[in-house]
Amino acid sequence: MKSSVPSSPRREQGRAPSVLALVTSGTMLLTSACAVANSDAAGDAGSADGRTLRVVLTQEPPTLEPCESSLTATGVVVRSNITEPLVERDPTSGKLDPLLATGWRQTKPTTWTFDIRSGVTFQNGQPFTAKDAAFSIDRAVNSDLACNVDGYVFGDEKLDVRAVSPTRLTVTTEKTDPILPLRLSFVEIVPRTTSTGAKVRIPIGTGPYAVKAWQTGVSISLARNENYWGKAPAYPRARYVWRSDASVRAAMIDKGEADIATALDHTSADKGNTVAYPNNETTALRLDGREAPLDDVRVRKAIGMAIDRKGIIDALLGGLARPAAQLVPPGVVGHNDDLAPTPYNVAAARALVKQAAADGVPVHRRITLVARNGMFAGISDVAEALQYEMDRVGLNVRIRMADTATHLQYQLRPLPRDVGPVALLIMHGNQAGDAAFTTSQYLVSDGPQSTFGTKELDRRIAAADALSGKARQKAFAEVLGYQNETVAQYAYLAHMRGLLGLSPRVRYRPDSATGDEMRLAGVSPAKAGRH
Amino acid sequence: MTSFLRRRIISSAIPLVFVVLGVFCLARLTGSPVDLYLPLSATPQQRAEFSAAHGFDDSIPVQLWDYLTNAARLDFGTSLRTGESAGSMVLKAFPVTLQLAGMTMLLAILGALLVGSLAAYRPNSLIDRIAGLLSMTAASIPDFWFAIVGVLVFGVGLDWLPTSGTLGGPEIWVLPIATLLIRPFGVLVQVVRGSMVGALSAPYVKVARSKGAGPKRVVFGHALRNSITPVLTVAGDLTIGLVNGAVVVETIFGWPGIGKLMIDSILQRDFAVLQAAVLLTAVTIFALNILVDVCHALIDPRVRQAVPA
Repeated sequence: MKSSVPSSPRREQGRAPSVLALVTSGTMLLTSACAVANSDAAGDAGSADGRTLRVVLTQEPPTLEPCESSLTATGVVVRSNITEPLVERDPTSGKLDPLLATGWRQTKPTTWTFDIRSGVTFQNGQPFTAKDAAFSIDRAVNSDLACNVDGYVFGDEKLDVRAVSPTRLTVTTEKTDPILPLRLSFVEIVPRTTSTGAKVRIPIGTGPYAVKAWQTGVSISLARNENYWGKAPAYPRARYVWRSDASVRAAMIDKGEADIATALDHTSADKGNTVAYPNNETTALRLDGREAPLDDVRVRKAIGMAIDRKGIIDALLGGLARPAAQLVPPGVVGHNDDLAPTPYNVAAARALVKQAAADGVPVHRRITLVARNGMFAGISDVAEALQYEMDRVGLNVRIRMADTATHLQYQLRPLPRDVGPVALLIMHGNQAGDAAFTTSQYLVSDGPQSTFGTKELDRRIAAADALSGKARQKAFAEVLGYQNETVAQYAYLAHMRGLLGLSPRVRYRPDSATGDEMRLAGVSPAKAGRH
Repeated sequence: MTSFLRRRIISSAIPLVFVVLGVFCLARLTGSPVDLYLPLSATPQQRAEFSAAHGFDDSIPVQLWDYLTNAARLDFGTSLRTGESAGSMVLKAFPVTLQLAGMTMLLAILGALLVGSLAAYRPNSLIDRIAGLLSMTAASIPDFWFAIVGVLVFGVGLDWLPTSGTLGGPEIWVLPIATLLIRPFGVLVQVVRGSMVGALSAPYVKVARSKGAGPKRVVFGHALRNSITPVLTVAGDLTIGLVNGAVVVETIFGWPGIGKLMIDSILQRDFAVLQAAVLLTAVTIFALNILVDVCHALIDPRVRQAVPA
């Protein structure tokens, strides 16, 4: 007779109590006081009491350090909500409006003078003066903090910043800078008691909201700054939560758990609760002109002709984009209205590739199309469509999908070696509103995100950069046209559009800056009234 | 017993050392995180200073030595992404995952024992076939699909449950737990059923029946006790998988657990946090294995004797 004690292998016996132990420990954990879930019945985003504006983002900000606000995840919370700059750019008109500076003028070729607003206090009660403005610019641009805003806006330029009186500030550049006020619109002002030795995680500013609490991993709560110098925002409180999945963000809007959801995609959002808006992002293939066959301008132009932009936009991007003919969208200084997207012409593209092949260009050498996961919804489908279209005109393309860090290795100098010809799918957002921020990065020969260029293009860019007003607009428009005609480093795809989830309970009009700078003071209840 | 314990600790510690060393070295093969954390136009000097400040300019052996010596003092470094202590970030995230894993396995085991036993009691009956179909389906459903459909159906469509989040009443647990539960439950039902079918046809069960034992006593008093070992073996492996991080659930439902933290750390090349997270989960699993082996040895003397000196 078989024993009632099983004679199974030792491993099975050895595992037996493990589960009991785990189950017991799990149960104990569930009842422990350290429970992550608690009885806040309002949920992560807060209650729908109409007094809390609930925003769901794509990710938790890594920091709220103001000098990192050129990072989308940080800027969307910090900029113009917690901290403010001296001047701000109207994203629709492109005009600079006064904020913490009431006026500015170029008093010398290399010096700008700013009149500082009086009667403003920081959220900690400290009065705001020109010394704070000088400190903030110095901290962001001239310090060793390696702030992202420094690299994005100022490059390696150093500034001489002086508070000549409590209400007057001068900023001197090494060479003439006609758009310095625009650059300074990216510098958020902090009190001069802020650390210069390390970045801060939670800032103090002059904005309409102050940070009330940051529950790591769960939410960030803001409270209205009752001493705000400007018009008080409609909502006394705001709360940010984050969900990586677009369909969950959309569901939170549909269910009424959130009032605003960023970066939805057309496949998961209810059209009744979404608003599309131009987000200043442009997608394109950057063609590495140092490597054959991409070193031949005919091949680069053939790739531009091979792309069925309208087909990709309609079929894969839900119609949420417009075919692009340049790296900057309309509304940015330097945008060339006369440029039209390269016509889709497979026969002409094939002919160009054949011509190149006849001249000895190794057109069958394998090109790596590098794309970044999550860059936009449907990116892998778009990459496959581009691969098919390039293959169809006689090129040999393989796809490499990369994460952000790997994609950056291809995107930034020093560029990787021995990887062959690369067509890098990029998405460039010119939030500054001036083509100089694009050309200095993507078009000049040694730009941080450029693979090659020409001396003539560099010369034209430098000349345009020294101009202002209409002359500047015209010169940069010509630069972009010249790039397309002569250099052709980019095969443009589309000017993208964002999709914002919006609850029927709130009123908000997104603009091209919304993705990077969502001004909560611009949101009001659908039924007018202040809480 | 002391000798047994010493041998078990040594044999279990070896994989732990390999895991820690492997993660440390493999993470560095993915490249420097400098580009992710410095401005686009950072100068070579700024890059060099950043690398030096975080020790990335040292050789791998030097970095490893620094890591080990600091870890011995419970200093796991600072997150590049948030500037917080890597150790405190991991300690905040781990209980979240443990709660999810604990609740899930508790329900999965209890449910599987009940359904599997019922199915095995009358093989090929209607109940058995339904249980088989359900368990096969449950074990095959992709968890991300189940999670999203759950959000849309029960969160939005029926409005019974919150879509996501960690703050609220008991209802916030339902969708995350259900998503985590479905696969272990499906697998365990099949294991229970298979094991119980064998046990119920064993001679000692026939003897029990011949002595007049009722169905409940036969199933739960005799057969289940002797067929539970393979169930618990599988359940143990499933539990360890959950302790390592329920990434999909944590990502979709916004639970700030260890799985999400590890994925973010990998994507952001946040080595300090990644290493701390891996070390903590590895040590936890190591400790659990030791604990269960000790428990088992206490229960069954043959195990102590089976381990070679």
